[in-house]
Amino acid sequence: MTVPHQRVSPDPALALHGLVKRFDTKVAVAGIDLDVPAGSFFGLLGPNGAGKTTTLSMAVGLLRPDAGTARILGYDVWTDPAAAKARIGVLPDGARLFDRLTGGELLAYHGLLRGMDADVVNQRSAELMDVLELGAGNRTLVVDYSAGMKKKIGLACAMLHAPRLLVLDEPFEAVDPVSAALIRDILHRYVSGGGTVVFSSHVMAVVERLCSHVAIMADGTIRVRGTLAEVRGDRSLEDVFVEVVGGRTATGSELAWL
Amino acid sequence: MAVSVRHFVRLKLRLTANGLRGQSWRVALFVLGAVLAAIAAVGGYAAFSVAGLLGEERAAEVVLPLGGAVVVLGWLFLPLVFFGVDESLDPARFALLPLPRRTLIGGLFAASLVGVPAVATFAGTLGMVHSAARLGGPAAALVQLVGVLTGLLLCAALSRSVTSAFATALRSRRARDLATVLLAVTAALLGPLQLAALAGAERADWGGVARVADVVAWTPLGAPYSMGPDVVAGRWWAVPVKLAIVLISIGLLLRWWAATLERAMLGTAGKGRARQRSAADRPPVEQLVPRWLPATRFGALTARELRYWWRESRRRASLITFSVIGVFLPVMLTVSSGSGGLPTGMLVFVGALAAVSLANQFGFEGSAYAANVVAGVPGRVELASRIAGFSAYAGPAFVTIAVVAGIVTNRPAAIPAAFGALVAGYGMALAVVLPMSVRAAYALPETANPFAMSSGGGTAKGLLSFAALIAAALATLPLQLGAHFFDDVWLWLGLPVGIAYGSAGFLLGLRLAGRSLDRRMPELLATVSAAQ
Repeated sequence: MTVPHQRVSPDPALALHGLVKRFDTKVAVAGIDLDVPAGSFFGLLGPNGAGKTTTLSMAVGLLRPDAGTARILGYDVWTDPAAAKARIGVLPDGARLFDRLTGGELLAYHGLLRGMDADVVNQRSAELMDVLELGAGNRTLVVDYSAGMKKKIGLACAMLHAPRLLVLDEPFEAVDPVSAALIRDILHRYVSGGGTVVFSSHVMAVVERLCSHVAIMADGTIRVRGTLAEVRGDRSLEDVFVEVVGGRTATGSELAWL
Repeated sequence: MAVSVRHFVRLKLRLTANGLRGQSWRVALFVLGAVLAAIAAVGGYAAFSVAGLLGEERAAEVVLPLGGAVVVLGWLFLPLVFFGVDESLDPARFALLPLPRRTLIGGLFAASLVGVPAVATFAGTLGMVHSAARLGGPAAALVQLVGVLTGLLLCAALSRSVTSAFATALRSRRARDLATVLLAVTAALLGPLQLAALAGAERADWGGVARVADVVAWTPLGAPYSMGPDVVAGRWWAVPVKLAIVLISIGLLLRWWAATLERAMLGTAGKGRARQRSAADRPPVEQLVPRWLPATRFGALTARELRYWWRESRRRASLITFSVIGVFLPVMLTVSSGSGGLPTGMLVFVGALAAVSLANQFGFEGSAYAANVVAGVPGRVELASRIAGFSAYAGPAFVTIAVVAGIVTNRPAAIPAAFGALVAGYGMALAVVLPMSVRAAYALPETANPFAMSSGGGTAKGLLSFAALIAAALATLPLQLGAHFFDDVWLWLGLPVGIAYGSAGFLLGLRLAGRSLDRRMPELLATVSAAQ
């Protein structure tokens, strides 16, 4: 019998193998292999519509892949979902939460849903609300929160049960600089404590500052992957990204009427 | 180029067509809805034309206004209870466009006439034109055609303005109770009308019915449909008066609609209105889970459902609609039928109607359901907690309905049996509704109107509801027969038998749906997440 926390595994935190997803006729993800080493801060980059959200959804068990496997710390998400899901915290795309609850209620909901003890939930929730500056006594419904606050409460919900892997879809989208700095700080602390973070983004500056590893996606495939230094070389990440994705550069003659 | 009504109509048609594209089950639903509507239209045509075919002038004077009134009331109540309104043209989407109010309302109104229900209503009521033609020749037919057309406009205006006003009322906390009262009063107004009509019909007292019909013919409900018979009877002077009644009604309804629409559009754009409540010093778990629930996964799920049934406008709308209908239906039936017996069949129906509120329970929250998928909540726990949460509202409602039914029928001893019938209907409908809610869920549009449905959704909602109601009626047939034949013993047996029946249905549904939910969680999430 294995005790989860003492399990010293050589397994990567997240291992995707041959993931494929088709929507009607469109191929959203066309066979992805990806290993995220435990203890890394992994940035999944790509333009809009590259398949980042689809990939992450399949990795955490929200979307059934047409082919391929996803393993979290050695547990297969689709054949052993209970074990795999117990080890991850997820911030889904757009952070659609049960937003007719107050922040405190939402945290309590997530904690109890994860089978945690009520006292532990209370203590950790209060701490998270305090650190994330959400106001412990705040009785505002989450639906009335600002975009930044929604991301923060979503992050708090994902971290409450102290998972070993955090999968965050666009955690910095629509977040003001102050909140973004706070989120960065907390994620840094989490990784230095031995956790693994996988997040998607198209904000190069954030990725450059945070990540130890990156992968760049376009059209449903991974084009480049490696440590930040390997991928970036001696150029800026933005230059590499534009080159890999193949964006167009303005010549100055179009949109002259503007 | 000026924007005209034509653009709205084309947009609606285009949206409907795109909604059907590439999704065979939607096409199937649409076709099924169209076929059912066609059957209803043919039935309506036959019913309305028979008076003319028989040459019965007096019968036409009774059937046309009364039948017309039923059609108008159907447009009022069916969207609230069963179908929702097709809001593929969401008014909020037009908030930023530089459109004059007149154009916007006119366009939305015209677009709301483009759809299966409007076409079916028009086709059905054409039977009245047939009648008028047979009785009074081309002149009467022409007048009746005008009446039928204005009647259709009245139907659409009524349904749009009432759902929109109700939706607006539901959004603001202060006016929420007002909405309940509004619906109750509307329902109450139907009471005397139906009472008189039914009482007359029961005594085969055509004079009585005819008197009611004569009154209805002068209300906006019956006025558009009684113009033809007026011409037949030589009362030409009545035609312009009735036309004025109808047109003024339509105008007022459209103005009302415009006012509520504007408020709704501002509400969406502004959003704001943060509800700051008193600071709570209780720890989060106590805030979420009431004291009588365990602080466990089941407790958390149930507590969240409890909050959602009240805090989410769509759920609140169905909750309020159900309570009002639930109290009024049995009362009206008992009072109007005049017989002393307990309306067991109606109570079963009301119980089943409660369960129907859960037919798309996963659609209510949309992609937020992802939290439960990620946490890997077992299907049985998920469903049981949802039933528990809803039953916390349905239970007290059932008690109230049972007590009211017992008092109205003047048989307080029958209250436990009435409660039993409600529970039996509820449980048996759950046996159908629970698997449905997993297998046949659909995404709800993100709009401010809790009655809004995307195209095709109305058919789905209506069909699922009817299926559950019929299934519950059939499954509880032995119970209904028992109540009918063993009247005295039933006072004692009704409660235990009803509860046993209901529990059996609930357990069956839980068993069927729990397993299928365990297998289909990601698929369910995908179907209820609104298309992006």
